[in-house]
Amino acid sequence: MILGVSAVSLLPRILPVAFLSSFEFPPVLIRWLSYIAPAVLAALAALSVLAPGGEYDFSIGNLYIWAFVPTFITAILTRSLFYSLLVGIGTMAILNNLM
Amino acid sequence: MNRAEIITGIRDSIPIILGYLPLGFAFGVLATQAGMTIIQATVMSILCFTGAGQYIALGVMQAGGAVLTAIMANILVNLRYFLFATSMVPHLRNHVPIKWASILSYGLTDETYAVAMNHYCNHEASTSYMAALNLSSHFGWITSTLLGAFLGANIADTDRLGLGFALPAMYICLLILVINKRNDILAAVIAAVLCIVIGLIWPSTIHNMSNIIVASVVAATIGVLVNE
Repeated sequence: MILGVSAVSLLPRILPVAFLSSFEFPPVLIRWLSYIAPAVLAALAALSVLAPGGEYDFSIGNLYIWAFVPTFITAILTRSLFYSLLVGIGTMAILNNLM
Repeated sequence: MNRAEIITGIRDSIPIILGYLPLGFAFGVLATQAGMTIIQATVMSILCFTGAGQYIALGVMQAGGAVLTAIMANILVNLRYFLFATSMVPHLRNHVPIKWASILSYGLTDETYAVAMNHYCNHEASTSYMAALNLSSHFGWITSTLLGAFLGANIADTDRLGLGFALPAMYICLLILVINKRNDILAAVIAAVLCIVIGLIWPSTIHNMSNIIVASVVAATIGVLVNE
């Protein structure tokens, strides 16, 4: 099982880099690909906050939504991964210990 | 080999490792509870390096499912890497030799992708940076699995430390960092809303993450179609 899972996790990462690197991409494809990073990150951020345990939780009891606010503001103001993590983890720790 | 690039890569991997710590640790704990040995759990983290995929494999294993089921579920979960890897190619071309780029793509995950793409926005890619970032992140994943498998359930719960928010905080900040033009915001908003809506309609897509793939493909297409 481990080997099978390993094969299907590694092939989709390695094959595009191995085989597509020698092709010149058309400009429209490059533009399309430039939107993939913001799109994927927004989707990951939304899911990780609104469905923290793999199940949706839109209630005010979802602490991830509360921790999102100061983290988002910190990220915009500082543009620093370090401070964003610090504020996010710190807020979460405080909320977890208060609730 | 470029010393400065290696140091930057390792430095950039620290927030990733911080996020992997609770995830890898929990995987180690759960894997040993599911009947894996410490060595098996660690080897799985070495060979697979797919957080969601490894959790799914454990779930299938505990439910007494077939190996093929675990593999099929993993094909779906890992399909997004195809998209990630392809979108990274334009940055790597001419900077990282294909041979090295292919081998190092072993360490491509949601997190290393996000950090690397943000770095490539205003820096050229390099083999040293890619190697340092991916290998030290992978090392963090393996180490935290090993720790979790060793210590089992004897440790206080990591929730109280707020570490559960490490990965969301990282996604949020990286999202802010990769937004450079107006249409990036449009693509981001569409992807976030669509991904949530798809998950509401078909809950199973949350677990295999196909909602992320569909939402991203649609959002990027709209981004291209709408005039910049």
